[in-house]
Amino acid sequence: MKDIKEVILDAVSNAVIEEKQKLTVTVEPKQLHSLLEALYNNPELPFDYLISLIGMDWGDKLGVIYLLSSTKDLSKEIVVITATADRENPLLYSVTDLYGTAHLNEREIYALYGIRFINNPDMRRFLLRDDWNGFPFRKDYDENPDLNPITVVSQEIEDEIPRIIENEKGELVEETVHVFEDDDYIINIGPQHPSTHGVMHFRTALEGEIVKKVDVISGYIHRGIEKLCENMTYPQILHFTDRLDYMSANINRHALCMCVEKAAEIEIPERAEYIRVIMDELQRISSHLLAWSSQCNDLGATTAFIYGIREREHVLDIFDKTCGGRLIVNQNVVGGVMFDIYPDFQKDVKAFIPYMRKSLIQYDKFFTHNAIALGRMVNVGILPIEDAISYGVTGPAGRASGLSCDVRLHKPYSLYNKVEFKEVIRTKGDSYARYQNRLDEIEQSLHIIEQLIDNIPEGPIVAKVKPVLKLPEGQYFQSVEAGKGEFGVFIESHGDKNPYRVKFRSPSMAAVSVMPLICKGEKLSDLIGISGSMDFVIPDIDR
Amino acid sequence: MSFSKYISGIFKALKSLIGGMRETWKELWTKKVTMQYPENRKTLVISDRWRSELIMPHDENNEHACTACGICMMNCPNGTITVTPKMIETEDGKKKKILDTHIWNYGTCTFCNLCVITCPSNAIIFNNDFEGAVFNKSKLIHQLNHEGSKLREKKKEPVAVKTPTTTSSDSTATPATNKDEIISKVKENNSLTASVGGNDSTNVEKTVEQPKQTNNNKDKTNE
Amino acid sequence: MLLLNYSQPLELSGIIESVDTFLRTNMSPGWATFVEGVIVCVAILALYCIIALALIYIERKITAFFQARLGPNRLGPYGVIQSIADMVKILIKEIIHINRSDKFLFYAAPFFVIVSSFLAFGVIPFGIDLQAIDFNIGVFFYTAASSIGIIGVLLAGWSSNNKYSMLGAMRSGAQFVSYELSAGFALMTIVVLSGTMQFSELVEGQRYCWNLFNGHISSIIAFIIFMISGHAETNRGPFDLPEAESELTAGYHTEYSGLTFGFFYLAEYLNMFIYCSIATTVFLGGWMPIQIPGLDALNEVMWYIPSYVWFFGKTGLLIFLSLWVRWSFPRLRIDHLLNLEWKYLLPINLVNLLVMVVIVLTDTSLAGLFPSLLATN
Repeated sequence: MKDIKEVILDAVSNAVIEEKQKLTVTVEPKQLHSLLEALYNNPELPFDYLISLIGMDWGDKLGVIYLLSSTKDLSKEIVVITATADRENPLLYSVTDLYGTAHLNEREIYALYGIRFINNPDMRRFLLRDDWNGFPFRKDYDENPDLNPITVVSQEIEDEIPRIIENEKGELVEETVHVFEDDDYIINIGPQHPSTHGVMHFRTALEGEIVKKVDVISGYIHRGIEKLCENMTYPQILHFTDRLDYMSANINRHALCMCVEKAAEIEIPERAEYIRVIMDELQRISSHLLAWSSQCNDLGATTAFIYGIREREHVLDIFDKTCGGRLIVNQNVVGGVMFDIYPDFQKDVKAFIPYMRKSLIQYDKFFTHNAIALGRMVNVGILPIEDAISYGVTGPAGRASGLSCDVRLHKPYSLYNKVEFKEVIRTKGDSYARYQNRLDEIEQSLHIIEQLIDNIPEGPIVAKVKPVLKLPEGQYFQSVEAGKGEFGVFIESHGDKNPYRVKFRSPSMAAVSVMPLICKGEKLSDLIGISGSMDFVIPDIDR
Repeated sequence: MSFSKYISGIFKALKSLIGGMRETWKELWTKKVTMQYPENRKTLVISDRWRSELIMPHDENNEHACTACGICMMNCPNGTITVTPKMIETEDGKKKKILDTHIWNYGTCTFCNLCVITCPSNAIIFNNDFEGAVFNKSKLIHQLNHEGSKLREKKKEPVAVKTPTTTSSDSTATPATNKDEIISKVKENNSLTASVGGNDSTNVEKTVEQPKQTNNNKDKTNE
Repeated sequence: MLLLNYSQPLELSGIIESVDTFLRTNMSPGWATFVEGVIVCVAILALYCIIALALIYIERKITAFFQARLGPNRLGPYGVIQSIADMVKILIKEIIHINRSDKFLFYAAPFFVIVSSFLAFGVIPFGIDLQAIDFNIGVFFYTAASSIGIIGVLLAGWSSNNKYSMLGAMRSGAQFVSYELSAGFALMTIVVLSGTMQFSELVEGQRYCWNLFNGHISSIIAFIIFMISGHAETNRGPFDLPEAESELTAGYHTEYSGLTFGFFYLAEYLNMFIYCSIATTVFLGGWMPIQIPGLDALNEVMWYIPSYVWFFGKTGLLIFLSLWVRWSFPRLRIDHLLNLEWKYLLPINLVNLLVMVVIVLTDTSLAGLFPSLLATN
C-alpha cells in the first residue's frame, strides 16, 4: 500500500493517514473531491468502487465516511473521512460525478444528517419527505412527536429539485429545477403496486409505452433501524439484520456477528462456522428461488412463481427445524450460532440437493428457453460494466454485467477459502444474464453445501462471550455476499456496550439507484421485468 | 431476415413453447403441495423448535423457576417483557424479592429468543402453539406466571420436564454458564398448554431431560 | 330437423317442438312468436350465467392443478359453490363512483362488453335445434358482434380517469384490431372450404370429416391461427396485456367494482367460451357426433349421446387447451404482440387462404380425394 499513500499525499499533502482496520485517510472537505479523483484515476489500482457512504455525527462535527475499493482488487480498501464543524448549514462536495451510487446515498445523508452536497444534481431528501422537521440521525435530534405529526391528509409529491451548484467562478449557486417537464405523461408505479416487491415508488414519465424518465422515491417503510441500533446492546441489534433484506436474513446476521466478533476478538468454534456457512448457502438458494419466481411472475408467468415458492418451502422447512424460524431465522449470535443442527439435518439437506437439481432442470425446460420469455429478457435493460461499477451494483446482477464482485471469493470470510466454487460471470448485462446467473448460482451453492455437509466437526456451537459485550473504540467494517449483492456492516464504537453508529450497506439500494438509467427507453412492461431481474427488496433500502 | 430463418424461427419458438407446456402437463398430475389447514390439524407437524408463544412452565405444585431477576426484561430489544417483582418477608424474617407478574406482549414480540437464552434459571421457553390470532389487542398481553404460583425451592430436585421444545438444551450453552450444573427436572403443568393456547392437538410434546443450571449466584445480576 | 331417422331419446328437439305447438295452438301467431322470443331470451341469459359460473370454477380448479395447488375447496364439496358465492358477493358490493370520470361512458362501457358477448353467444349452435337463430351469414354475424366489445373496453379505459386504465385500453385497442384480422381470415379459410357461412350447414358438412382434417395442412394452420387470435381477442394469457396484472394492476377495469366489474368478468369468461365454441363448430364438427362411414352400428351408438354433450365436450377440450396455454407462458410485450400478428400470423394467413383456394379448386381436400368415403351427400 506504499504506492497508495504516495498517491494520497500527492493529491492532498496534508492528509492524515492512519493504519486502522483499514487504511484511513482524513482530509478537509475542500480537498475531498481532489483526493477521490486522484484515487479514482490511479492507474495501477483505480479506486472506482464506492462500497459505502456513511453519514456521521461526532457531536462537534458532521461528516461522511467513504469506503472505497477497487474492482481490480476488491481486497484493497481505503476509508476516507471528511467532516465539517458547521452544524447550521453543513456543506460538503459531492462525488456523484465519479460514483453514481453516491447520488442516492448523499440524498439519504442529507435527509438523516442535514449535510448538503455541492454539485449533486438532485438534492431532495431520500427516505424522508422534504418537509420533515429536523435531521433524525443527529445526536441532538428532538424526538418530540409534535414536531412531525402523523398526517391523515394526502401529501403532494413536490416536483422541484433544489440543488447547490458551484459555477466556474467558484461561487455557490442555489437553484431549483423540475423533475419532469410540464407535458410529461407521469404514471406512478407504486407505492402500492403488485410488481414493485414492496412499497417502492417509481414515478415514471411515459412516451406512449416507452419509459422516458424514472424518478425513484423510497422511504415508505423507513424504520430508522440504524438509529435504533445506537441505543441497543450488540446482541440486541442482531435481530434487526433479519429484517433488512429478509430474503438473506441469515447472511446479513452473519455479517453483523462477524463484525462484532472481529472487533471483540472472539474466536468462534469450527462447528459454528460450518453451520453458519451451510445456512448461508441455503439462504442464498431460497433468496435466488424467490428472485427467480418473482421475476417470472413479473413477466406474467404465475405458474413459475408457484413452482419456485414450492421449492423454497423445502429450504424454509430446514430452517424451521433448525432454528424455529422460517423467514426470520435468528440463527447467528455473537460467538457462534444459537441452535445446533437437529439430528436429521444432514439427511434433509442431502435429500434437498438432488431435489433442487431436478427442479433446476424443470425451470430450464419450463421457462429459460421459452420463446416469449427470451423476447422479454434478452437485450432488455442492459447494464454496462462501467455503470455497474459506478453504481456499485453487485451480486448476481453485477456479475451479469461482467463485474467480478463475489465477496466470498475476493474477501473470503468464514469457510469460503476452504470450499471450492465457481463465480458465475456473464458479460451481456441484460435481464436474461441476470436471470441465468441466479439459476447458476443456486447450483454453485448446492455444490458448496455438498462439500460441507458431511464434514461438520463435533464441538461446541458457541464461544464464550462476556455477558456485557463492549467493543473497543474504533471503526469496524465487514462485508459478506448476500443474496442480492455485497452486504456490509459498519460499526463505530466508542467503547460502550452500545455502538456509536451502525450503518448497513444495502445491495438493493445500488440496484434501485441504477433503475432510472437502465429503464430509460425501454417499454413500460420492461420496467417491471427489469425491476424483477434486479431483484431488490424494499426493507433493505428503507432500513 | 432470410426466409429460411423466418420459418426456422417459428418452429424453434413453437418447440420451446411446447416444451414449456409439457412441464405444466406433468405438474397437472403430480401431488399437490398445498395443505388443507385447519382440516389437517391432527396431522400437522410443527417443528420442535418453532417459536410461537412465550410460556413459563409450572409444575404440578403450581411452582415456576422465575426469580424475578429481570434479565429477560433487560435483554428484550423492544420492551416486550415486563417483570414486576414484589418484596415479601419470609418466615425467618428476611426480606426476599419474588415474582409478582411476568407480562409478555405477543403483539410486539420479535421472537429473537434472547430472553430464553439469557434466562439464568430457564424459567421461560417458547412453545409450539402457533395459532395466536385473537380478536382483541388486549388479549395479546399474556401474564406468564399463574395465579398463586410461587418460586420452586432449589432443594427440590429431580422432577421430570415436559416441555414442547428441545431448544433450550442447546441454547443454554451461552456465556456465563454456571459450572455447577444440577440436573433438575421440572414437570410441566399439563393444564398450561390448554389454558394458554386453547389448542392441545397441534402441540408436539416431547419428554426431554433438560440440563438446568442453578441460580445461586445469578440473583446479583438483577441490579 | 335433418336427422330424426336416428333414435335420439335425450335430445331436446321434442320438448322444443311440443312447446312450440302448445303456444301456437293457444295464441295468435304474433303472440306465440313473442312469447317464444322471451323464452329463448331468458334461456340464453340463464345459460350464459350458468356457463360463466361453471367456467370460473373450472378455470380456477384447473389452474390450481397446473400450479400444484388445490384451488377453491372451502364452499361445498371441492369448493363447487365458490363461484356462486363470488357472484353473490359481486352483486352486493358497492359500485364505487370515481371523481372526475365521465359518468355516462363509465357506466355504459360494461354494457357494450356484455351485450356484444350476448350477441355472439346467441348464434352458437349448442345442439340439434338448440340455436336461437340460424343466420345464413352466421360466421359473419359472429365476427361482427364480437368486435363491438372493444368499444366497451376503450370506453372503460377512457372514462375511468386513470392512467393504468388508459394504457390498458389503448393496448387492448391495438391488440383487438390486429387480431380481428387473423381471426377473420382463419374463418374465411374455412368458409372457402365448406362453401357456407351458415352454422347449421357447416356442422352438417362435417358429418364424416371435420373441417380440421378436411382441408388438411391448410385447415390445421387456420385452426392454430384462429385459436391464437381467439386468445388475443379475449385478452387471455399470454395475451392479457390490457389487464397485465403485474404491470397495470387490472388494466382497463381497474376502477370498476361490484356489478360493473362483474360484467367485465363474466364477459371475459364467456368470450373464451364463445370463441372455443365457434372453433368447435367451424373446425371440429360442432354438435355432430363422431361418425365413421361404413360403421353404421357405431354411428348409431354415437347418436345415443346427445348432441349438446358432444358440443360441450369438444368445447371443453378447447377450453382446457386454452387454459393450458394460458398458465404455461409468460406475457408478451405489446411490440412482440403486434410483431406476431403483422409479421407472422397475417402473412401466413394470407398465404394459407390462397392455398385453401387452390385446394378447393383442385378438389384436393380429403373429401375431394376420397369422395366415396367422406363426402356428405
